[in-house]
Amino acid sequence: MGEQQNQEWNLLFPLIPAIAIVPILAIAGIEPIDLGFAAIAAPLAMFPVVLIVGQLWNGNETWVSRFKEGGVLALSALSVSLVAGLWMVLDFLGAGEKKAHGDPLTWLDFDVLGHDGTQWTIDTGFTNISFGIWLDPISAMLLFVATFLCFLICWFAIGYMTTDDINSNRNHRFFAEFILFSMGMFGMVLADSFLWLFIFWEIMGLCSYLLIGFYYWKESAAAAAKKAFMTTRVGDVFLMVGLLMLYDIYGSLDFSVVFDNPSTGVGDAPVKASELQPALLMLFIGCVGKSAQFPLHVWLPDAMEGPTPVSALIHAATMVNAGLYLVARMVPFVDVGYYGVAGMEDLGIIIAWIGGVTAFMAASIAFVQNDIKKVLAYSTMSQLAYIFLGLGSALYLISTGHRYEGLFVLGGALFHLFNHAMAKGMLFMASGSVIHEMHHAHHELHHHQEHDDHHDEHFDAQDMRYMGGLASKMPVTSIAMMLGSMSIIGIPLIGGFWSKEAIIAETWLGALEYEPLLLGPAILAVMTAGMTGFYMSRMWMMTFAGEPKHEAASHVHEETLWIKTPLITLSVVTATTGALLAFFHIGEFLSGKDYSLGLDDFEVARALQIAFLPEKQALMAVGYITIVLSTFVGPIIAMKVHGGRLSEGQEANAAVSWLVGLSGSFKKIDVSGMASSSLSESLRNRLHFDDLYAWGISKTIVPMAKFSAWFDANVIDGIVKLVERTSIQGSHWIRSYTTGSTRDYILMAAVGALSIFVLIVGVTV
Amino acid sequence: MILTSSEAIALAPEMTILFGITLAILVPNLGDARARIPLTNIKVPILWGGTRFEITSDPRAPGALSTICLAVACLLSLYAIESSEGKTISGVMEITGFGRFMSMVFTAALAITAAASIYRIPSKKITAADVKDADDQVTQSLMDNRRQVDLHILLMMVALGMSLMALSTNLFFLIVCLELASMASYVLVGFHKESSIGGEAGTKYFIVGSIASATGIYGMSLLYLWAGSLDFAILSATWGQMDTLDPLAGIGVGLMMVAFGFKVSAAPFHLAAPDAYSGTNAPIAGMLATASKAMGFVAMMRVLVGIAAPNEAVTAWAPALGILAVITMTWGNLAALSSENPKRMLAYSSVAHAGYMLAALAALGSGLADSGTQELLQIAIVFHLAVLVLFKMGAFLVLTLVEMEGGGSSISDLNGLARRDPILAICMFVFMLSLAGIPPLSGFLSKFLMINGLVTTTTDTGAITAASAMSWLQSVDPYFLLALAIVLNSALSLFYYLRIGLLMFFEEPAMDSPVPRAPLLRAVILASMVLTVLLGIGPASEQLLSLVETAISTF
Repeated sequence: MGEQQNQEWNLLFPLIPAIAIVPILAIAGIEPIDLGFAAIAAPLAMFPVVLIVGQLWNGNETWVSRFKEGGVLALSALSVSLVAGLWMVLDFLGAGEKKAHGDPLTWLDFDVLGHDGTQWTIDTGFTNISFGIWLDPISAMLLFVATFLCFLICWFAIGYMTTDDINSNRNHRFFAEFILFSMGMFGMVLADSFLWLFIFWEIMGLCSYLLIGFYYWKESAAAAAKKAFMTTRVGDVFLMVGLLMLYDIYGSLDFSVVFDNPSTGVGDAPVKASELQPALLMLFIGCVGKSAQFPLHVWLPDAMEGPTPVSALIHAATMVNAGLYLVARMVPFVDVGYYGVAGMEDLGIIIAWIGGVTAFMAASIAFVQNDIKKVLAYSTMSQLAYIFLGLGSALYLISTGHRYEGLFVLGGALFHLFNHAMAKGMLFMASGSVIHEMHHAHHELHHHQEHDDHHDEHFDAQDMRYMGGLASKMPVTSIAMMLGSMSIIGIPLIGGFWSKEAIIAETWLGALEYEPLLLGPAILAVMTAGMTGFYMSRMWMMTFAGEPKHEAASHVHEETLWIKTPLITLSVVTATTGALLAFFHIGEFLSGKDYSLGLDDFEVARALQIAFLPEKQALMAVGYITIVLSTFVGPIIAMKVHGGRLSEGQEANAAVSWLVGLSGSFKKIDVSGMASSSLSESLRNRLHFDDLYAWGISKTIVPMAKFSAWFDANVIDGIVKLVERTSIQGSHWIRSYTTGSTRDYILMAAVGALSIFVLIVGVTV
Repeated sequence: MILTSSEAIALAPEMTILFGITLAILVPNLGDARARIPLTNIKVPILWGGTRFEITSDPRAPGALSTICLAVACLLSLYAIESSEGKTISGVMEITGFGRFMSMVFTAALAITAAASIYRIPSKKITAADVKDADDQVTQSLMDNRRQVDLHILLMMVALGMSLMALSTNLFFLIVCLELASMASYVLVGFHKESSIGGEAGTKYFIVGSIASATGIYGMSLLYLWAGSLDFAILSATWGQMDTLDPLAGIGVGLMMVAFGFKVSAAPFHLAAPDAYSGTNAPIAGMLATASKAMGFVAMMRVLVGIAAPNEAVTAWAPALGILAVITMTWGNLAALSSENPKRMLAYSSVAHAGYMLAALAALGSGLADSGTQELLQIAIVFHLAVLVLFKMGAFLVLTLVEMEGGGSSISDLNGLARRDPILAICMFVFMLSLAGIPPLSGFLSKFLMINGLVTTTTDTGAITAASAMSWLQSVDPYFLLALAIVLNSALSLFYYLRIGLLMFFEEPAMDSPVPRAPLLRAVILASMVLTVLLGIGPASEQLLSLVETAISTF
């Protein structure tokens, strides 16, 4: 197999011209900001190609082996986007501008129609239907995250999807939907108006639905797809209402109009907080749905029914960040120092509370999950909630005039978004690698021992209770998983530590000094930090440490090239960029305090001082409590429960063997009593949210739906049928005048001539 | 009347067509005839008569000739749009950007018709072995070289008449050119004389058309009585000086509306059109629906906007035209709903489209529109006429292919086209969507411009303070209702346009033999489809819009 994989390098040749496109465009004189169109257009143009060619050449030998059923084509399209994205981000970093706004592409050029009576004029008062590229620090960061991860995860997906028989001859659909989704994400990040943001947001929602339901013949997958779509729709309806309210206030949804001066609306009328705040809350409900926060969080765990690359990309690294992105966009509205609207403190507090509650709730449910992807799903929810908490605190602090602290935590929250996307994308890919190999090992086992399949019926390649001891067999995956977990837990100096610390500290600052209501989320955040330490360590220990708990786990072998490369890349990124970017004080760049990111920002000592020695005593105490809880208490308890040495003769890689050894050195404790308690039972039932919603829906929505169905079948259909019948009757009646006889035709013409005569004379006289 | 060389150059497209007609007459007669010089035995070749050369007797020659000539004329016209300087010729013609734009549209439509006719009325050499029985002889005679020559000469005649018509500045000359094109097109409709349905269609079309023309000429004579001249400038000046409507002028214009109403197939003068479309070949029907209709609209705009432009005292024809427009679009769409013959359906759809354009013309005549909006309405009409050549003609070209395999008279012949030939079906579907006005296709853009013009025309008339939509609707000028009528009719029309899509994509095909290949025809269809999309959105559409704007500014 290894030899064959080495030959697969030559499949990557199509990437060379694709990568060259953007530099050629740039040399040809295209503005860097306009490369955004290329980033969106490449996957959009490739989408129908992959879909149609895949359908025509289905099962074709070349298509399968040379093009990986469209995977290579998708990857080349995404490499165009990646290079374009990098080019734009680097240019933006160098330019040191607050924002870059490209010339919009106009479809219906209304200024052809704008006329002041004497000459054609370009009247900006008209609402043009146009699309432009908007780049500021937030979208630059997210653009990098999106293009980079879409590319890597597509790479991963080629290895993951095309080696499974169940996907054979259907992979073109996967890759087509995958790049359509990528297009939606790039478009949403780069859009220059809330309307386009919403349109791309919905495209992502559609692709999410399609990809979760990729195995649509599985009842659970079909149901999960529907659930995800419907739940996010609930939020989207509110989002749309919010956008309409916003349009009502500002008369436009273009960023350039709205953010030009958020305190004056249409016709220079001052904007009232009592009008703007409800609109922003409506937008926030949309974000809650998209980013799977309490109480619209129920779809995310079920969404893990989709193929693992989908979970990695859509449900961890990109789409779920859309809500965070939109909330981060709200900052100019509340920025009282800079044309913001005063009196919107409640918004930040509400967002912070939703974040705090979700973080805690998701972390506690993650305690009892045995499905490796479900653990990661709840972890995603919990980490996104951290970011919401940070954004909420930022909004609160900025709206009350504490701009310095507010921007600090805003930068921290956005930095956490970056760290989390990188780490979680990698964790999902690593889990995919584990699942993939478990599945194959089990398959082979099953193949060799056909007589002995009594326990196979219960086998689940995703269940951590069947794993264990994989550290020696999957060195790359185990290191990736370890680094990712460390970043999520916030082990000092690695990845997420830098950003999480900022969020927790500033929330505490807000709680202690300005607003006691923030105390609740602040406490929840610290507790969640410790819980994160536990459940992430538990996942690693159950998977990689101890002895194999199932035959399949002892027959797992090495990963393929396609799967290993992105894991290694992201391991390096996760291990280094957190600290590196913190030393560059990226938070100040992301929050818009400092427009450029240059070498003169590189200050290690200041970064360390901010992280470890804050000026306020109380904050230092909070910081160290967090570190102790997340780095020591949580992981050590997890090791005590789930850790253990590998079985005899198995050697783990040096990078992880210390961890396995450490876990084996603790005295084991038995928690079976706790595991059977009613609390963990209800945690296993996800705190009964699904049951509650099912009950609520059956009492309210279902009767309404039944009435609607009746109304549709009888009233609406009746009207439609009536229209149809009348039209057809009218059609037959009017055609009866076309007799086919020339005499009648001339008669009709004479009648027409007479009528014209009567009308003209009648009007005049 | 002798043209100077600069005038001949200004008339280059028409000269090209004339040259083509001459060639089409001469070339098939070239042979190896020799004449003996009297009193000697020396024979000199005179090339006229005798046994024809291989190449001149090739029945494919006339088709190639006319297609090339018309295409060249089209390109020459395109080139001349922006460079024409308003040169007047013999006092009856003026070379304007508008005239050149329209001759581009006409020649483009006819070039496509000529190219499609090569396949529809196939040409190949007849050998004795080919003729099997009497019926076959009928078919074979169609393929005869001479018939080919007739067809293509007629097509070029149509182009010549239309092209000159667009340049005319004199009403008499306009009618003469119009009749030149019309007479040729009557013959083209009945060209398939061996089939009873073709002969009948041609005769009907000819009779009704003649009566309409006679009415129009009578109207013209009334105008002459009234103004003492048929020159546009004088007529228009006289009209502008009227304080109240002179009955002679009013009735004259009204009678001309009848004549041009027949050309654009406005109800109730359209009745012969569906018979003509369904009786003739698909390419000729496409020509009637695009070039012929554009010709009618140009003539109508010349008379109604050029001469009888509404002044403050007189807005005589607008209400009549508005009512005509609503009747036309409703009649067309309703009748198309239950048509089972695709060519008839497209004929009725063509009637409906005429109604939309008439509505825009009526708004132009209402006198409510300011100069900017007037220009916009004219742009909308001319843009629509131009893009119709793509998608209306395209739909007829697809039907041409269906006809080539013997179908085309029933809508079920399109069943399952997507399975037999997906690319063709997608093209047809795009044409249908564009006809229905679905964004972002060019059919949407033109309809959008028209509705936008109509709404802008009446924008200041409704009471802003009206509490409900009903009371607003009562206060707004009735011309706004034309926009409403277009929207409602578009909804109605979706039914039969989408039905074609339903049949093509979801029905089982009656046969699984592949659709005829016809490479040139397919290339034209594909190009039309691509242009239908490109001219609806993006830089190409803006290019065309600015070209139309240039043309309108010299109207």
